[in-house]
Amino acid sequence: MTELITTLITIGFVLACVLTACMYLVLAERKVSAWMQDRLGPNRVGPYGLIQPVADALKILLKEGVIPSHVDKALFLLAPAISMFTTLLAFAVVPFGPVEESFTWLRFLIAPDVNIGLVFIFAVGSLAVYGVILGGWASNNKYSALGSLRASAQVISYEIPLGMSVLGVILLSRTVDLNEILNQQAKQGIFGWNIWCQPLAALIFYVSSLAESNRLPFDLSECEQELVGGYHTEYGGFRLVLFFLGEYTHLVTISFLTAILFFGGWHFPLIATPESAYTGAWLVKLLVLLAKVLFSVLLIMLIRWTIPRFRFDQLMELTWKVFFPLALANMVAVMTVLQFGINRWALLPISVALFVLFGVFTVTAKRLELARRRRASLAMH
Amino acid sequence: MQWIEEHWQAIALVLLGGGIWWLLPRSVSRRRIGPLAASLVGGYMLARLFPADSPVGESFLFFTFAGAALLCAILMITNRNPVYAALWFALATLCVCGLFWLQFAPFLAAATVIVYAGAIVVTFVFVIMLAQQSGATAYDQRSRQPLLATIGAMLLLSLLINMMLASSPDDLQVAAQRPTATAAAGALSVPPDQQSIAHAPMRGLGRSLFGDYLFAVELAGTLLLVATIGAIAIAPRRSRGTL
Repeated sequence: MTELITTLITIGFVLACVLTACMYLVLAERKVSAWMQDRLGPNRVGPYGLIQPVADALKILLKEGVIPSHVDKALFLLAPAISMFTTLLAFAVVPFGPVEESFTWLRFLIAPDVNIGLVFIFAVGSLAVYGVILGGWASNNKYSALGSLRASAQVISYEIPLGMSVLGVILLSRTVDLNEILNQQAKQGIFGWNIWCQPLAALIFYVSSLAESNRLPFDLSECEQELVGGYHTEYGGFRLVLFFLGEYTHLVTISFLTAILFFGGWHFPLIATPESAYTGAWLVKLLVLLAKVLFSVLLIMLIRWTIPRFRFDQLMELTWKVFFPLALANMVAVMTVLQFGINRWALLPISVALFVLFGVFTVTAKRLELARRRRASLAMH
Repeated sequence: MQWIEEHWQAIALVLLGGGIWWLLPRSVSRRRIGPLAASLVGGYMLARLFPADSPVGESFLFFTFAGAALLCAILMITNRNPVYAALWFALATLCVCGLFWLQFAPFLAAATVIVYAGAIVVTFVFVIMLAQQSGATAYDQRSRQPLLATIGAMLLLSLLINMMLASSPDDLQVAAQRPTATAAAGALSVPPDQQSIAHAPMRGLGRSLFGDYLFAVELAGTLLLVATIGAIAIAPRRSRGTL
């Protein structure tokens, strides 16, 4: 019984925190964008515009929910719900604090007995694409349909490097339990963080998950110049917000996963180690983890206004011709190191070498192709 | 009453098959609620053929997932709209994954979600949306041989059920306790007290797949590779541009 109540309280806590965080992430995104573009950003409601999210939420709740007459009603209503639901469900296995120091009524992990953590996240994440596909199809609109076609192609393609990049970490730590992976890194200190042996995997994971969440520079499914609003052209009011809440929740999940898989979770040298036993150590660990997550979120926001949007064929070439072989090579490298008992640190130079090799190879191949195309067009004239 | 118990299986099959036959799409539209309920009752009666000694909560979950899977499967084959059919297929897969989870096979459940609901059905929907932009076609409106199809399926089902009933419980026990063969089928029947396997379901599965069944796995992999190469070879080439 206590178990059930604890779980319910934890779920409520996570839900409240994530939704509030999403509200303020929207504000943060607007502020960061404003700062990068030399504007002021929202500054009218409350000091520095801090109450802006509340005003936005109230406005959205009071908006009329329009259902266009030509849509497939059931799926039109279902799509935003799926989008929100699947991203929230992934949080069930993400440890959002030091799990070992949980309280009676509040655990830092919703489902501690699911020992397939990462696989569960991928399973749930692979369902998230239904929200986008159904939203676009049910809208009965050419732009929406094109947006959802793009989205499904993109998400299916990027799922492969996403899963394969994590395989290296799984092989190194011999488990798929996220909390176990975190603890193993924490025990070995800062040089035990997986980023040192798997920098390439971290890069592939981060970029692929950006593509999975349809963020700029990968938001081809909703790019305004070509497709009006993409799959959510016909949506408005609260349903549109559900799509965006799903996207921001996805952002938070990615950041948590990056921090836990590659940057040691709540571990930080000197102040938050497994040995630190001073009062309030749990709070420090929680804050360290949240700081890492916040850093990752801010990085995603900076990327948004730094790198322009890809073209769709470039997007597909990036995953199939670059990430997929790179992730495969990385996995083979990890397997070789483990099989022949080589020192783990050998993976750092191997990763860098792979990255450089692929960079030189792809750039040369592209140059040659461009030169050939130019010659061909000259020959035609 | 006596008569019902004697012909329990036949009645169940007739209820299930009749319901499905009635629901299969044809030129006139018919009522759906009654036959759906009849097929679900038939499915429940079939499940009752097997003795169950699980606790109440677990059997409640089992019947919820199994009933939902049956319902989704029926709705999938009887729906006229291919997109809806694909979605019902995805839901049926999810329900079956719930059943896997009940049998202590969470990895199998998650892998099935990734492969079927996450990739294959998405590809179906993708193709349907590309191919049928002008709406449903004539061959979606009605099924070709509803009666023969239903009878064939029910015969196959009864054959399977009778085979399962004929195999004594001892056989199942032996199969579960074979030391190495804890693959897909075995992992389902692993008792929870076998700590080593229950704590690392993936380890046993991987050992079995790449130990006991190595050649089958490699053969399947090669087949898929050949099919992929064939698909690429058949696909028409465009000089430039994509969606």
